[in-house]
Amino acid sequence: MRRVAVIGVGVTRFGRHDRTSAELFAEAAREALADAELSPGAVQALYFGNVVGGETERQLHMGPQAATALGIPTVPTTRIETACASSHAAFRHAVMEIAAGVSDIVLVGGAERVLNVPTADSTTYFAYASDATWEQPAGLTFPGVFALIARAHMAKYGTTEEQMAHVAVKNHRHGALNPKAQFQKPITLEQVLASPYVADPLKLYDCCPFSDGGAAVVLASEEVARRHPRAIWVLATAAASDSMLLHDKRDLARVPATERAAAAAYRQAGLGPTDIDVVELHDCFTIAEIVATEGLGLFEPGTGGLAAEKGWTSLGGRIPVNPSGGLKAKGHPIGATGAAQIAEIVTQLRGEAGPRQVEGARRGLVHTLGGNTATVLVSLFGRE
Amino acid sequence: MSEPSVTAKEFFERARAGTLTGIRCEGCGALAVPPREFCEACHRRAWRAVPLSGEGTIASYTIIRVAPARFAAEAPYAVAVVRLKEGVSLFGRVVDVPFEQLAIGLPVRFRPLSRDGETVLAFGPA
Repeated sequence: MRRVAVIGVGVTRFGRHDRTSAELFAEAAREALADAELSPGAVQALYFGNVVGGETERQLHMGPQAATALGIPTVPTTRIETACASSHAAFRHAVMEIAAGVSDIVLVGGAERVLNVPTADSTTYFAYASDATWEQPAGLTFPGVFALIARAHMAKYGTTEEQMAHVAVKNHRHGALNPKAQFQKPITLEQVLASPYVADPLKLYDCCPFSDGGAAVVLASEEVARRHPRAIWVLATAAASDSMLLHDKRDLARVPATERAAAAAYRQAGLGPTDIDVVELHDCFTIAEIVATEGLGLFEPGTGGLAAEKGWTSLGGRIPVNPSGGLKAKGHPIGATGAAQIAEIVTQLRGEAGPRQVEGARRGLVHTLGGNTATVLVSLFGRE
Repeated sequence: MSEPSVTAKEFFERARAGTLTGIRCEGCGALAVPPREFCEACHRRAWRAVPLSGEGTIASYTIIRVAPARFAAEAPYAVAVVRLKEGVSLFGRVVDVPFEQLAIGLPVRFRPLSRDGETVLAFGPA
Protein backbone atom coordinates (compact mmCIF):
# COMPACT_ATOMS: atom_id res chain seq x y z
CA MET A 1 0.00 0.00 0.00
CA ARG A 2 1.25 3.49 -0.82
CA ARG A 3 1.74 6.16 1.84
CA VAL A 4 -0.77 9.02 1.88
CA ALA A 5 -0.40 12.60 3.10
CA VAL A 6 -2.64 15.60 3.72
CA ILE A 7 -1.38 18.53 1.64
CA GLY A 8 -4.20 21.04 2.08
CA VAL A 9 -6.95 21.87 4.57
CA GLY A 10 -9.85 24.33 4.65
CA VAL A 11 -12.85 25.03 6.88
CA THR A 12 -15.63 27.60 6.85
CA ARG A 13 -16.54 29.47 9.97
CA PHE A 14 -19.02 27.26 11.86
CA GLY A 15 -22.35 28.72 12.91
CA ARG A 16 -25.33 29.99 10.95
CA HIS A 17 -25.04 30.34 7.17
CA ASP A 18 -27.48 31.31 4.43
CA ARG A 19 -25.84 29.00 1.92
CA THR A 20 -26.42 25.41 0.83
CA SER A 21 -24.23 22.56 2.03
CA ALA A 22 -22.74 22.35 -1.45
CA GLU A 23 -21.74 26.02 -1.31
CA LEU A 24 -20.30 25.63 2.20
CA PHE A 25 -18.24 22.66 1.09
CA ALA A 26 -17.07 24.51 -2.02
CA GLU A 27 -15.78 27.41 0.09
CA ALA A 28 -13.83 25.03 2.33
CA ALA A 29 -12.52 23.12 -0.69
CA ARG A 30 -11.35 26.32 -2.39
CA GLU A 31 -9.38 27.15 0.77
CA ALA A 32 -7.96 23.60 0.94
CA LEU A 33 -6.86 23.70 -2.72
CA ALA A 34 -5.22 27.11 -2.21
CA ASP A 35 -3.46 25.69 0.86
CA ALA A 36 -2.21 22.79 -1.28
CA GLU A 37 -1.23 25.21 -4.08
CA LEU A 38 -3.26 23.14 -6.53
CA SER A 39 -5.66 24.02 -9.29
CA PRO A 40 -9.10 22.35 -9.04
CA GLY A 41 -8.22 20.46 -12.21
CA ALA A 42 -5.72 18.38 -10.23
CA VAL A 43 -8.49 16.67 -8.22
CA GLN A 44 -9.16 13.10 -9.41
CA ALA A 45 -12.00 12.12 -7.06
CA LEU A 46 -14.25 13.54 -4.34
CA TYR A 47 -15.51 11.75 -1.23
CA PHE A 48 -18.20 13.81 0.47
CA GLY A 49 -19.93 13.49 3.85
CA ASN A 50 -23.42 14.77 4.61
CA VAL A 51 -26.15 13.42 6.85
CA VAL A 52 -29.52 15.19 6.92
CA GLY A 53 -29.48 17.04 3.58
CA GLY A 54 -32.50 15.04 2.47
CA GLU A 55 -34.44 16.44 5.42
CA THR A 56 -33.15 20.01 5.83
CA GLU A 57 -32.39 20.89 2.20
CA ARG A 58 -34.57 18.39 0.30
CA GLN A 59 -31.33 17.42 -1.35
CA LEU A 60 -29.93 14.00 -2.16
CA HIS A 61 -27.18 13.29 -4.68
CA MET A 62 -24.95 15.84 -3.00
CA GLY A 63 -21.65 14.48 -4.31
CA PRO A 64 -22.00 15.84 -7.85
CA GLN A 65 -23.80 18.89 -6.49
CA ALA A 66 -20.79 19.72 -4.30
CA ALA A 67 -18.38 19.08 -7.19
CA THR A 68 -20.50 21.28 -9.45
CA ALA A 69 -20.52 24.13 -6.91
CA LEU A 70 -16.73 23.86 -6.70
CA GLY A 71 -16.31 23.91 -10.49
CA ILE A 72 -15.18 20.30 -11.07
CA PRO A 73 -18.45 18.68 -12.22
CA THR A 74 -16.83 15.79 -14.11
CA VAL A 75 -14.85 14.35 -11.17
CA PRO A 76 -16.13 11.01 -9.82
CA THR A 77 -17.90 11.58 -6.49
CA THR A 78 -19.18 9.44 -3.64
CA ARG A 79 -21.37 10.65 -0.79
CA ILE A 80 -20.85 8.78 2.46
CA GLU A 81 -23.18 8.73 5.45
CA THR A 82 -22.16 7.28 8.81
CA ALA A 83 -24.09 9.83 10.93
CA CYS A 84 -21.73 12.28 12.64
CA ALA A 85 -18.64 10.37 11.45
CA SER A 86 -19.51 10.80 7.76
CA SER A 87 -16.58 12.87 6.55
CA HIS A 88 -14.09 10.85 8.59
CA ALA A 89 -15.45 7.71 6.91
CA ALA A 90 -15.16 9.57 3.59
CA PHE A 91 -11.54 10.34 4.49
CA ARG A 92 -10.77 6.66 5.10
CA HIS A 93 -12.13 5.70 1.68
CA ALA A 94 -10.12 8.47 0.03
CA VAL A 95 -6.97 7.25 1.79
CA MET A 96 -7.65 3.73 0.53
CA GLU A 97 -8.18 4.99 -3.05
CA ILE A 98 -4.75 6.62 -3.02
CA ALA A 99 -3.06 3.82 -1.07
CA ALA A 100 -4.37 1.33 -3.64
CA GLY A 101 -2.87 3.34 -6.48
CA VAL A 102 -6.16 4.30 -8.12
CA SER A 103 -5.65 8.09 -7.72
CA ASP A 104 -2.87 10.47 -6.69
CA ILE A 105 -4.88 13.50 -5.54
CA VAL A 106 -8.28 13.16 -3.86
CA LEU A 107 -10.49 15.80 -2.26
CA VAL A 108 -12.40 14.83 0.90
CA GLY A 109 -14.79 16.75 3.05
CA GLY A 110 -18.33 17.37 4.05
CA ALA A 111 -20.93 19.93 4.93
CA GLU A 112 -24.16 20.23 6.86
CA ARG A 113 -26.95 22.71 7.17
CA VAL A 114 -29.47 22.46 10.02
CA LEU A 115 -29.99 25.96 11.42
CA ASN A 116 -32.52 26.66 8.65
CA VAL A 117 -35.05 24.43 10.48
CA PRO A 118 -36.55 24.68 14.01
CA THR A 119 -34.80 22.85 16.89
CA ALA A 120 -37.70 20.37 17.27
CA ASP A 121 -37.16 19.36 13.61
CA SER A 122 -33.37 19.06 13.84
CA THR A 123 -33.86 17.03 17.04
CA THR A 124 -36.17 14.75 15.02
CA TYR A 125 -33.67 14.34 12.15
CA PHE A 126 -30.70 13.66 14.43
CA ALA A 127 -32.77 10.95 16.17
CA TYR A 128 -32.97 9.17 12.78
CA ALA A 129 -29.42 7.99 13.53
CA SER A 130 -30.87 5.73 16.22
CA ASP A 131 -33.02 2.72 15.35
CA ALA A 132 -36.42 3.51 13.80
CA THR A 133 -38.04 0.30 15.06
CA TRP A 134 -36.58 -0.12 18.53
CA GLU A 135 -35.59 3.35 19.73
CA GLN A 136 -37.24 6.23 17.90
CA PRO A 137 -40.87 5.23 18.75
CA ALA A 138 -40.16 5.55 22.50
CA GLY A 139 -38.88 9.06 21.89
CA LEU A 140 -35.11 8.60 22.12
CA THR A 141 -33.06 11.65 21.17
CA PHE A 142 -29.38 12.14 20.40
CA PRO A 143 -28.74 13.81 23.80
CA GLY A 144 -30.80 10.96 25.29
CA VAL A 145 -28.30 8.35 24.06
CA PHE A 146 -25.43 10.14 25.78
CA ALA A 147 -27.51 10.81 28.88
CA LEU A 148 -27.93 7.02 29.23
CA ILE A 149 -24.16 6.66 28.86
CA ALA A 150 -23.57 9.47 31.38
CA ARG A 151 -25.84 7.90 34.01
CA ALA A 152 -24.12 4.54 33.59
CA HIS A 153 -20.66 6.16 33.82
CA MET A 154 -21.66 8.09 36.94
CA ALA A 155 -23.01 4.93 38.60
CA LYS A 156 -20.02 2.76 37.67
CA TYR A 157 -17.17 5.20 38.27
CA GLY A 158 -18.54 8.05 40.37
CA THR A 159 -18.17 10.59 37.57
CA THR A 160 -19.93 13.85 38.49
CA GLU A 161 -21.91 16.52 36.67
CA GLU A 162 -19.22 18.97 37.78
CA GLN A 163 -16.49 16.89 36.09
CA MET A 164 -18.55 16.90 32.88
CA ALA A 165 -18.93 20.67 33.21
CA HIS A 166 -15.13 21.00 33.29
CA VAL A 167 -15.04 19.58 29.74
CA ALA A 168 -17.40 22.31 28.54
CA VAL A 169 -15.41 25.05 30.27
CA LYS A 170 -12.11 23.77 28.83
CA ASN A 171 -13.44 23.45 25.28
CA HIS A 172 -14.98 26.93 25.37
CA ARG A 173 -11.64 28.27 26.64
CA HIS A 174 -9.96 26.63 23.64
CA GLY A 175 -12.69 27.75 21.24
CA ALA A 176 -12.09 31.36 22.24
CA LEU A 177 -8.67 30.97 20.54
CA ASN A 178 -10.15 29.66 17.26
CA PRO A 179 -11.37 32.31 14.78
CA LYS A 180 -13.47 29.66 12.94
CA ALA A 181 -15.32 28.52 16.09
CA GLN A 182 -19.07 29.01 16.51
CA PHE A 183 -18.57 30.06 20.15
CA GLN A 184 -15.49 32.15 20.84
CA LYS A 185 -16.11 33.12 24.43
CA PRO A 186 -15.18 31.41 27.69
CA ILE A 187 -17.91 30.13 30.02
CA THR A 188 -17.79 29.37 33.76
CA LEU A 189 -18.43 26.17 35.67
CA GLU A 190 -21.37 27.89 37.37
CA GLN A 191 -22.93 28.76 33.99
CA VAL A 192 -22.73 25.14 32.84
CA LEU A 193 -24.14 23.78 36.09
CA ALA A 194 -26.99 26.31 36.12
CA SER A 195 -28.08 25.60 32.53
CA PRO A 196 -31.36 23.69 32.07
CA TYR A 197 -31.50 19.92 31.63
CA VAL A 198 -31.92 18.67 28.06
CA ALA A 199 -31.80 14.97 28.98
CA ASP A 200 -30.81 14.41 32.64
CA PRO A 201 -27.97 14.48 33.66
CA LEU A 202 -26.96 16.40 30.51
CA LYS A 203 -27.64 20.13 30.56
CA LEU A 204 -27.72 22.60 27.72
CA TYR A 205 -24.04 23.49 28.17
CA ASP A 206 -23.06 19.80 28.15
CA CYS A 207 -24.29 19.66 24.55
CA CYS A 208 -22.61 20.77 21.35
CA PRO A 209 -24.69 23.21 19.30
CA PHE A 210 -26.53 22.68 16.05
CA SER A 211 -24.27 24.17 13.36
CA ASP A 212 -23.93 24.90 9.65
CA GLY A 213 -20.52 24.60 8.06
CA GLY A 214 -18.16 22.87 5.66
CA ALA A 215 -14.67 21.38 5.79
CA ALA A 216 -12.27 19.90 3.23
CA VAL A 217 -8.86 18.27 3.04
CA VAL A 218 -6.69 17.45 0.02
CA LEU A 219 -4.98 14.05 0.11
CA ALA A 220 -2.03 13.04 -2.04
CA SER A 221 0.19 10.07 -2.78
CA GLU A 222 3.76 10.07 -1.45
CA GLU A 223 5.13 11.02 -4.87
CA VAL A 224 2.97 14.17 -4.99
CA ALA A 225 3.33 14.94 -1.28
CA ARG A 226 7.15 15.03 -1.49
CA ARG A 227 6.81 18.30 -3.41
CA HIS A 228 4.86 19.77 -0.46
CA PRO A 229 7.10 20.70 2.48
CA ARG A 230 4.07 21.18 4.78
CA ALA A 231 2.65 17.72 4.06
CA ILE A 232 1.39 15.81 7.09
CA TRP A 233 1.42 12.00 6.83
CA VAL A 234 -1.49 9.69 7.48
CA LEU A 235 0.03 7.11 9.85
CA ALA A 236 -3.16 5.07 10.29
CA THR A 237 -6.89 5.15 9.60
CA ALA A 238 -9.27 2.65 11.16
CA ALA A 239 -13.02 2.19 11.35
CA ALA A 240 -14.99 0.09 13.82
CA SER A 241 -18.67 -0.60 14.29
CA ASP A 242 -20.86 -1.82 17.10
CA SER A 243 -24.44 -3.05 17.25
CA MET A 244 -26.88 -0.41 16.07
CA LEU A 245 -29.06 -1.22 19.06
CA LEU A 246 -28.72 0.22 22.54
CA HIS A 247 -30.32 -2.93 23.93
CA ASP A 248 -27.35 -5.00 22.70
CA LYS A 249 -24.83 -2.96 24.67
CA ARG A 250 -23.45 -4.91 27.65
CA ASP A 251 -21.86 -1.91 29.38
CA LEU A 252 -23.34 1.52 28.72
CA ALA A 253 -20.35 3.19 30.41
CA ARG A 254 -18.09 2.21 27.50
CA VAL A 255 -17.96 2.74 23.74
CA PRO A 256 -16.46 -0.52 22.42
CA ALA A 257 -16.20 0.79 18.85
CA THR A 258 -13.82 3.52 20.07
CA GLU A 259 -11.68 0.91 21.80
CA ARG A 260 -11.57 -1.30 18.68
CA ALA A 261 -10.87 1.54 16.23
CA ALA A 262 -8.13 2.92 18.49
CA ALA A 263 -6.50 -0.49 18.89
CA ALA A 264 -6.51 -0.99 15.12
CA ALA A 265 -5.08 2.47 14.44
CA TYR A 266 -2.30 2.12 17.04
CA ARG A 267 -1.43 -1.29 15.57
CA GLN A 268 -1.28 0.07 11.99
CA ALA A 269 1.07 2.87 13.02
CA GLY A 270 3.10 0.88 15.56
CA LEU A 271 2.28 3.56 18.13
CA GLY A 272 0.50 3.74 21.47
CA PRO A 273 -1.45 6.39 23.37
CA THR A 274 1.68 7.78 25.03
CA ASP A 275 3.15 8.61 21.59
CA ILE A 276 0.35 11.10 20.84
CA ASP A 277 0.93 14.84 21.42
CA VAL A 278 -2.46 16.30 20.48
CA VAL A 279 -5.99 14.91 20.10
CA GLU A 280 -9.17 16.07 18.39
CA LEU A 281 -12.00 13.84 19.59
CA HIS A 282 -15.75 13.63 19.33
CA ASP A 283 -17.18 15.70 22.21
CA CYS A 284 -20.76 15.93 20.95
CA PHE A 285 -21.57 15.90 24.68
CA THR A 286 -19.21 16.45 27.60
CA ILE A 287 -19.59 12.82 28.71
CA ALA A 288 -18.61 11.73 25.18
CA GLU A 289 -15.20 13.38 25.65
CA ILE A 290 -14.71 11.69 29.02
CA VAL A 291 -15.59 8.23 27.66
CA ALA A 292 -13.48 8.79 24.52
CA THR A 293 -10.35 9.76 26.47
CA GLU A 294 -10.70 6.42 28.27
CA GLY A 295 -11.50 4.39 25.14
CA LEU A 296 -8.50 5.85 23.29
CA GLY A 297 -6.25 4.75 26.16
CA LEU A 298 -5.27 8.29 27.15
CA PHE A 299 -6.55 7.62 30.68
CA GLU A 300 -7.55 4.52 32.62
CA PRO A 301 -11.24 3.50 32.45
CA GLY A 302 -13.19 5.55 34.97
CA THR A 303 -10.62 8.35 35.27
CA GLY A 304 -11.69 10.52 32.32
CA GLY A 305 -13.78 12.71 34.62
CA LEU A 306 -10.83 13.23 36.95
CA ALA A 307 -8.60 14.10 33.98
CA ALA A 308 -11.07 16.81 32.92
CA GLU A 309 -11.32 18.16 36.47
CA LYS A 310 -7.53 18.28 36.92
CA GLY A 311 -6.94 20.06 33.61
CA TRP A 312 -4.89 17.19 32.16
CA THR A 313 -6.69 17.58 28.81
CA SER A 314 -6.30 21.34 28.60
CA LEU A 315 -3.82 23.24 26.43
CA GLY A 316 -0.67 23.08 28.55
CA GLY A 317 -1.89 19.86 30.24
CA ARG A 318 -0.55 16.30 29.94
CA ILE A 319 -2.33 15.58 26.66
CA PRO A 320 -4.23 18.50 25.10
CA VAL A 321 -7.66 17.40 23.84
CA ASN A 322 -9.70 19.48 21.41
CA PRO A 323 -7.47 22.57 21.10
CA SER A 324 -9.90 23.72 18.37
CA GLY A 325 -12.66 24.05 20.96
CA GLY A 326 -14.05 20.66 19.93
CA LEU A 327 -17.58 20.08 18.74
CA LYS A 328 -18.71 21.81 21.92
CA ALA A 329 -17.35 25.28 21.09
CA LYS A 330 -16.11 25.06 17.51
CA GLY A 331 -19.51 23.69 16.49
CA HIS A 332 -20.78 20.42 14.98
CA PRO A 333 -22.01 20.60 11.37
CA ILE A 334 -22.28 16.82 11.44
CA GLY A 335 -21.30 16.04 7.85
CA ALA A 336 -18.26 18.33 8.09
CA THR A 337 -17.01 17.39 11.55
CA GLY A 338 -14.53 14.62 10.76
CA ALA A 339 -12.81 16.63 8.03
CA ALA A 340 -12.71 19.70 10.31
CA GLN A 341 -11.08 17.64 13.09
CA ILE A 342 -8.48 16.38 10.61
CA ALA A 343 -7.88 19.97 9.43
CA GLU A 344 -7.18 21.02 13.04
CA ILE A 345 -4.69 18.21 13.68
CA VAL A 346 -2.89 18.96 10.39
CA THR A 347 -2.71 22.65 11.39
CA GLN A 348 -1.35 21.67 14.81
CA LEU A 349 1.30 19.32 13.38
CA ARG A 350 2.41 22.01 10.94
CA GLY A 351 2.87 24.34 13.92
CA GLU A 352 0.41 26.83 12.40
CA ALA A 353 -2.29 26.89 15.11
CA GLY A 354 -1.33 30.30 16.55
CA PRO A 355 -2.53 30.96 20.11
CA ARG A 356 -3.98 27.44 20.45
CA GLN A 357 -0.79 25.70 19.25
CA VAL A 358 0.32 22.61 21.18
CA GLU A 359 4.05 23.30 21.38
CA GLY A 360 6.20 20.85 19.45
CA ALA A 361 3.31 18.54 18.48
CA ARG A 362 4.65 15.79 16.21
CA ARG A 363 1.87 13.19 16.27
CA GLY A 364 -1.87 13.72 16.44
CA LEU A 365 -5.01 11.61 16.77
CA VAL A 366 -8.49 12.22 15.36
CA HIS A 367 -11.52 10.36 16.79
CA THR A 368 -14.98 10.70 15.27
CA LEU A 369 -18.11 8.94 16.47
CA GLY A 370 -21.29 8.28 14.53
CA GLY A 371 -24.67 8.88 16.15
CA ASN A 372 -25.50 6.26 18.76
CA THR A 373 -21.84 5.02 19.05
CA ALA A 374 -22.33 2.34 16.38
CA THR A 375 -19.65 3.90 14.14
CA VAL A 376 -16.21 5.15 15.18
CA LEU A 377 -13.19 6.21 13.15
CA VAL A 378 -9.72 6.84 14.51
CA SER A 379 -6.86 8.17 12.38
CA LEU A 380 -3.29 9.05 13.32
CA PHE A 381 -1.14 11.72 11.71
CA GLY A 382 2.54 12.62 11.89
CA ARG A 383 5.05 15.16 10.66
CA GLU A 384 7.11 12.46 8.96
CA MET B 1 -38.20 -27.37 16.23
CA SER B 2 -36.20 -24.30 15.37
CA GLU B 3 -37.60 -21.50 13.28
CA PRO B 4 -35.87 -18.72 11.38
CA SER B 5 -35.88 -15.94 13.97
CA VAL B 6 -38.93 -13.77 14.59
CA THR B 7 -39.63 -10.65 12.55
CA ALA B 8 -39.84 -7.24 14.18
CA LYS B 9 -43.49 -7.10 13.11
CA GLU B 10 -44.21 -10.38 14.89
CA PHE B 11 -42.32 -9.18 17.98
CA PHE B 12 -44.44 -6.04 18.22
CA GLU B 13 -47.70 -7.89 17.52
CA ARG B 14 -46.93 -10.19 20.45
CA ALA B 15 -45.80 -7.19 22.52
CA ARG B 16 -49.14 -5.49 21.90
CA ALA B 17 -50.79 -8.57 23.43
CA GLY B 18 -48.51 -8.22 26.44
CA THR B 19 -45.73 -10.74 25.70
CA LEU B 20 -42.10 -10.03 24.95
CA THR B 21 -40.37 -12.56 22.70
CA GLY B 22 -36.71 -13.49 22.66
CA ILE B 23 -34.89 -15.90 20.38
CA ARG B 24 -32.60 -18.58 21.78
CA CYS B 25 -29.82 -20.08 19.67
CA GLU B 26 -30.11 -23.88 19.64
CA GLY B 27 -26.43 -24.00 18.71
CA CYS B 28 -24.81 -22.17 21.63
CA GLY B 29 -27.72 -21.21 23.88
CA ALA B 30 -27.28 -17.44 23.44
CA LEU B 31 -30.40 -15.36 23.96
CA ALA B 32 -31.06 -12.39 21.66
CA VAL B 33 -33.72 -9.87 20.80
CA PRO B 34 -35.10 -10.53 17.30
CA PRO B 35 -34.88 -10.08 14.38
CA ARG B 36 -31.56 -11.68 13.55
CA GLU B 37 -30.51 -14.14 10.85
CA PHE B 38 -27.33 -15.51 12.42
CA CYS B 39 -26.40 -15.88 16.06
CA GLU B 40 -23.87 -13.16 16.85
CA ALA B 41 -21.99 -15.51 19.16
CA CYS B 42 -21.66 -18.69 17.04
CA HIS B 43 -22.91 -17.58 13.59
CA ARG B 44 -25.30 -20.51 13.34
CA ARG B 45 -28.91 -20.08 12.32
CA ALA B 46 -31.03 -22.21 14.62
CA TRP B 47 -33.37 -20.00 16.59
CA ARG B 48 -36.17 -20.94 18.92
CA ALA B 49 -38.66 -18.26 19.98
CA VAL B 50 -38.95 -18.00 23.75
CA PRO B 51 -41.28 -15.86 25.85
CA LEU B 52 -39.57 -13.32 28.13
CA SER B 53 -40.94 -12.53 31.56
CA GLY B 54 -40.97 -8.77 31.08
CA GLU B 55 -39.41 -8.37 34.53
CA GLY B 56 -36.16 -6.54 34.88
CA THR B 57 -34.22 -3.65 36.36
CA ILE B 58 -33.21 -0.27 35.01
CA ALA B 59 -29.66 -0.38 33.57
CA SER B 60 -29.68 3.35 32.75
CA TYR B 61 -32.29 6.04 32.29
CA THR B 62 -32.81 9.66 31.36
CA ILE B 63 -35.60 12.18 31.29
CA ILE B 64 -36.05 13.63 27.81
CA ARG B 65 -36.89 17.32 28.16
CA VAL B 66 -36.18 18.46 24.59
CA ALA B 67 -38.12 16.01 22.42
CA PRO B 68 -38.47 15.33 18.70
CA ALA B 69 -41.37 17.30 17.18
CA ARG B 70 -43.86 14.41 17.26
CA PHE B 71 -43.29 13.79 20.99
CA ALA B 72 -43.02 17.44 22.07
CA ALA B 73 -46.44 17.41 23.77
CA GLU B 74 -45.42 14.37 25.87
CA ALA B 75 -42.16 15.90 27.22
CA PRO B 76 -40.73 15.59 29.76
CA TYR B 77 -40.78 11.79 29.69
CA ALA B 78 -38.50 9.07 31.02
CA VAL B 79 -36.79 6.40 28.91
CA ALA B 80 -34.56 3.57 30.05
CA VAL B 81 -32.52 0.58 29.03
CA VAL B 82 -33.99 -2.29 31.05
CA ARG B 83 -32.03 -5.47 31.72
CA LEU B 84 -34.55 -8.30 31.76
CA LYS B 85 -34.02 -11.12 34.24
CA GLU B 86 -33.31 -13.53 31.34
CA GLY B 87 -30.19 -11.47 30.53
CA VAL B 88 -31.17 -9.48 27.43
CA SER B 89 -32.05 -5.78 27.52
CA LEU B 90 -34.71 -3.64 25.90
CA PHE B 91 -35.11 0.09 25.51
CA GLY B 92 -38.40 1.81 26.21
CA ARG B 93 -40.46 4.42 27.99
CA VAL B 94 -40.81 4.37 31.76
CA VAL B 95 -44.37 5.13 32.84
CA ASP B 96 -46.08 5.59 36.20
CA VAL B 97 -42.78 5.97 38.06
CA PRO B 98 -42.21 9.47 39.51
CA PHE B 99 -39.01 11.00 38.08
CA GLU B 100 -37.44 11.32 41.52
CA GLN B 101 -37.82 7.56 42.09
CA LEU B 102 -35.96 6.63 38.90
CA ALA B 103 -32.71 4.84 39.70
CA ILE B 104 -30.32 2.34 38.19
CA GLY B 105 -31.32 -1.04 39.58
CA LEU B 106 -34.99 -0.11 40.07
CA PRO B 107 -37.22 -3.16 39.38
CA VAL B 108 -39.70 -2.56 36.53
CA ARG B 109 -42.14 -4.64 34.51
CA PHE B 110 -43.02 -4.52 30.80
CA ARG B 111 -46.28 -3.09 29.64
CA PRO B 112 -47.19 -2.20 26.07
CA LEU B 113 -48.07 1.37 25.22
CA SER B 114 -50.30 1.97 22.21
CA ARG B 115 -50.15 5.15 20.24
CA ASP B 116 -51.86 5.69 16.86
CA GLY B 117 -51.90 1.95 16.16
CA GLU B 118 -48.17 1.73 16.95
CA THR B 119 -46.97 -0.39 19.88
CA VAL B 120 -44.28 1.24 21.98
CA LEU B 121 -42.24 -0.70 24.52
CA ALA B 122 -42.72 0.65 28.00
CA PHE B 123 -42.01 -0.32 31.58
CA GLY B 124 -43.95 0.47 34.72
CA PRO B 125 -43.53 -0.31 38.43
CA ALA B 126 -42.68 -3.99 39.11
